[in-house]
Amino acid sequence: MIELAQVVQAPKIDYQGLAPLFSTIGGSLAVLMIGLFRGRFVQRTLVPAVAALALLVAMGMTIANWEAGDSRPIIEGALAIDTLALFMSMLFYVTGLATVALSLRSDVQREVGAGEYMALLLGAISGMVVLAGAENMVTLFVGFELLSIPLYVLSAGYVRRAHSLEAGLKYLVVGSVGSATLLYGLALLYGATGSTDFRAMAIAIGDTVAVTDPLLLTGVALAATGLAFKASVAPFHQWTPDVYEGAPTPITSFMAVATKVAAFAVTLRLFDYALSDAQVQWGPALAALATVTIVIGNAGAIAQSSLKRMLAWSGVAQAGYLLAGVVVGTQLGLQATAFYLAAYLFMNVAAFAVVIACERVSEHGDGIESLRDLGRASPLLAWPMTIAMLALAGFPATAGFIGKFYLIEAVVAGDYAWLGIVIVVGSMISLVYYLRVIAVMWMGRFEVELPSFPPRRVKAVAGRSPEADARAQPEVASVAILAAAATIFFGIVPSPLFDLVSDVGTSFGGLV
Amino acid sequence: MSATAYGWVVLAAPLVGMLIIALGWRVLPGRSAGWLGSAAIGVSFLASVGMLIRLLDSPEESRALVSSAYNYVETAGFRADLSILVDPLSVFMCLVVSGVSFLIHLYSISYMTSDQGFARFFAYLNFFVFSMLLLILAANFVLLLVGWAFVGAASYLLISFWYRRGTATAAGIKAFVINVIGDVGLVIGAFLLFDATGALDYAGIFAAAPEVFAENDGKLVAACLMILVGAFAKSAQLPLHTWLPDAMEGPTPVSALIHAATMVTAGVYLIARCHPLFELAPTAADVGAILGTATLIFAASVALAATDLKRVIAYSTMSQIGYMVLGVSIGAYGAGLFHLMTHAFFKALLFMGAGSVIGAMSGIQSLDRMGGFRKAMPFTFVTFTIGALALASFPLFSGFFSKDEILAYALERGGLYAILGVVGYIAALLTAFYAGRMVFRVFFGASVPEAQELERGQLAHGTHANPATGEEEDTDVGFPGAEHHIAEREWPMKAAMAPLALLAVVAGVLGIPGVTDTLEHFLEPTFEGSRFAEVHPSTSAELIGLAVGGVVAIIALAAAYRYFTGDPQARVATRERFAGVHRVLINKWYFDEIFDRAIVRPVAAFGRFGRTVVESAIVQGVLVGGTVGIVRAGTSLARSIQTGELRFYAALLLMGVSGLILYFLLVSS
Repeated sequence: MIELAQVVQAPKIDYQGLAPLFSTIGGSLAVLMIGLFRGRFVQRTLVPAVAALALLVAMGMTIANWEAGDSRPIIEGALAIDTLALFMSMLFYVTGLATVALSLRSDVQREVGAGEYMALLLGAISGMVVLAGAENMVTLFVGFELLSIPLYVLSAGYVRRAHSLEAGLKYLVVGSVGSATLLYGLALLYGATGSTDFRAMAIAIGDTVAVTDPLLLTGVALAATGLAFKASVAPFHQWTPDVYEGAPTPITSFMAVATKVAAFAVTLRLFDYALSDAQVQWGPALAALATVTIVIGNAGAIAQSSLKRMLAWSGVAQAGYLLAGVVVGTQLGLQATAFYLAAYLFMNVAAFAVVIACERVSEHGDGIESLRDLGRASPLLAWPMTIAMLALAGFPATAGFIGKFYLIEAVVAGDYAWLGIVIVVGSMISLVYYLRVIAVMWMGRFEVELPSFPPRRVKAVAGRSPEADARAQPEVASVAILAAAATIFFGIVPSPLFDLVSDVGTSFGGLV
Repeated sequence: MSATAYGWVVLAAPLVGMLIIALGWRVLPGRSAGWLGSAAIGVSFLASVGMLIRLLDSPEESRALVSSAYNYVETAGFRADLSILVDPLSVFMCLVVSGVSFLIHLYSISYMTSDQGFARFFAYLNFFVFSMLLLILAANFVLLLVGWAFVGAASYLLISFWYRRGTATAAGIKAFVINVIGDVGLVIGAFLLFDATGALDYAGIFAAAPEVFAENDGKLVAACLMILVGAFAKSAQLPLHTWLPDAMEGPTPVSALIHAATMVTAGVYLIARCHPLFELAPTAADVGAILGTATLIFAASVALAATDLKRVIAYSTMSQIGYMVLGVSIGAYGAGLFHLMTHAFFKALLFMGAGSVIGAMSGIQSLDRMGGFRKAMPFTFVTFTIGALALASFPLFSGFFSKDEILAYALERGGLYAILGVVGYIAALLTAFYAGRMVFRVFFGASVPEAQELERGQLAHGTHANPATGEEEDTDVGFPGAEHHIAEREWPMKAAMAPLALLAVVAGVLGIPGVTDTLEHFLEPTFEGSRFAEVHPSTSAELIGLAVGGVVAIIALAAAYRYFTGDPQARVATRERFAGVHRVLINKWYFDEIFDRAIVRPVAAFGRFGRTVVESAIVQGVLVGGTVGIVRAGTSLARSIQTGELRFYAALLLMGVSGLILYFLLVSS
């Protein structure tokens, strides 16, 4: 027995660092139990309140853990926290809170059961937190699956609607292909470097393993594919519009933001930390992917008449911009990507909140038509949407502008000036579809040319109950307004966010 | 207060004005939104005068002041403050912009009285002035870009102000698209500079440029050309000019403010501001000079044939900006900016006069329908004629001194530039001719029914029709309201036009060769290090230039008088004899058609490509062919649900992976 204890040592666990994860997982179990009770109060108030509480507690503990500099192990060899993980976790919690608010009045909660719905949501968030803090490839994969599986279920949340089921199944099948590819890649990386630990991998590459080792690079290619799938990077983006469109809109909004943040968090860690010595090898490949993504995303978005599909394609294009920040493999690139992810969160949450508010009352569902004349009918929703669209297009005085500026600066400084030009041109093209949304809202009573292609979309997804007009959804409107206000605030006074991301930049000690 | 404190006031006033009007338009009674907007710009102007006084008080060496509000962007790589630069150039621009804007606001109070969007108009107008002043006062490229994009957006909003008019929204979109092309150029230019110099503020870039760039360094030339793309898109120079004539769809005060006096001169300002770079990259400067010259002759020729009064003035604006671009591109900064100022005065005046005439014509803008307004509209006649004489550079009017100074510089520098100068003189001949054409066709000849009615004391009331298409429109939202207004009956319009008329006559005294050089002397600190500081035509050369210019103007005006007040049959005969030339001019040298073929259609095709190839082809699965077969077995599970798609996704995934692996195997050892 004594011998065994010497051989198998229990890992050191830093419970303070682990506390946020306890909060979300505990919250997930709690809502599942509470959700067993029937009754309007429990289902519509208590369960969301507990879920929100769990997220707030996790947020508070994350702030308490904030400390710049190198990573601290939480579970030795498996999970660590550094500012990158903490920053990304904050983004997950914020998105989670927004999603809880956006789901309050959604009938998908009733269909799935409030307890199950919130439990799955918190489970996915836990997976993302694990993913962002993963210190080795095994934890990475555990986090990856923990985040994916609840989302497969949630996408099919409308169990009685073919479209939603189709979205869930499609996500599951293509997602599994992605996971399998990632796993294959990780296995090859282990084979090449002889380690699953990121730090050991970083040391081994260039030392015991040549950066041009075919086994290593094949592993890089497969891992990049798996992650590109999650981040909807072209040509692995095809599921995005279909799944976004079919899934219940609060879940779409969660996937569009949180999943992308998680995918980029782990991409940054794997590529800019573990594989950073091979940057010369993978840089051009990722740069090519970023270019293809920007072109395809913007081309695809132009002709969409469904807002959710349009935002899905726009999300593809945005993934391309973000990938450019990863490509350069510098501290500046890391900071710019983190900054843009935060900006991306606010812009998209604002846009999706407005889509949710409108699709519930409009006979056009999530069609762009549902926004017609919103500026007159409900300026409190039209302004956030306007700000979100301008910010996504990179208009000055919004967080989107600063973020893009930062990204372009990073790629130019990283000797990828041509990629900066691609970003600029891509943003220019994106004006076509972002401005159309604004035109429909403000000049809606008059002719605005919309894509003439027959719409390929579902009818109004949610209940379309007459009492649920925009004014009767204060929580949705407040999410939209708060997110839009943050977009403007960080566009005019970006320094608080700059301070945070410059802490994030110190996460990977070795980066220049 | 220090000069920079005044600078912040210059910026704050229109911003506050915009916010008050935008938020409080429901409770602002009557015309108060207009008065409020005008007052805000008035404060800006007074603060600009404050800046001027403070600057004149300080010694010449310390006339470039930077003030930071806070740190806007700071990263490991660079920092850009929210900071303004107060130096003679920016103060000069602020004075011109806020001064002319104030008068145009005043004019708009009357002109837009019965428009339903009265308050909205002034909110936009204040926003525009704020953006323009931000562009001028910015001390670094980041803030310049913010102002630059804001100005484009404001221009879009104002061109499309009457948004129920299809042609107006189309024109707005066209202007916006071309402006965005310019923005993209400017962004790329700024980053190329940042890449090389590591700075984004003017002072840092200009200090580092001579060290990192050799003369005509490829990278610097590229950066300067990109900056020129930005400047040319804003200033409507060839080949990015097609939006300006269409922008005349906006209300006339907008044309006066944005598309004559202020925004379109931003490009000239930018070139002048970046002069240390252009002097290091003479190739780029030459490109600017040549394109500016091409624009000035091209636009002058089109202005000869255009029949829409506002479009004639619009082409004239392009042409005059061509002179300014030529000036600042060949190192004649003082002369170029001098012309910018006098042009702002007389061109705003011409537009205001045109607005008054259009009011009398109850919205009709065609020159063919006008005539004989001399007696019915004495005030408009006198002021418009003054503006036209200044435009024609009739001796002793302001345009006479400023334009000829640019041409004298060009001749002095010799070689290529002398040729450009000669072209400038030829265009001056055309300019005087079309300036005369406007005056003689509108105010001389037989009185049209509208003029006769006005002589009897009544303002004509026609049906409201779109001047571009002739479609009837209702007046609920503008055009500009149910009632028209003319300067003769509205004191704010008179109060706006009279000072401009006075300035159009006397502003030349700021730069009479051999007598005064006030303006040039004031601007000297900004252009101190210029290598062309010593290039200056002798006084006698300048006087000869002036004499030539004066003779040219008088001859052309006399010819126009004979031609347009003479026998109408002769005009028809001439037009028929030169039918081919006339058709080319009427069609604006077919630029719109060329653009349509070369750019618009391919872009539309790209959009269709997005839908058909990127998306629909997936549904049809046409592209996949063989690859589908490979994965078919694996995905038979999902076949019941939309068979083709999922298989295609997996196929694409497979192709993507294969591509990536192939790449990585190629770079591996």
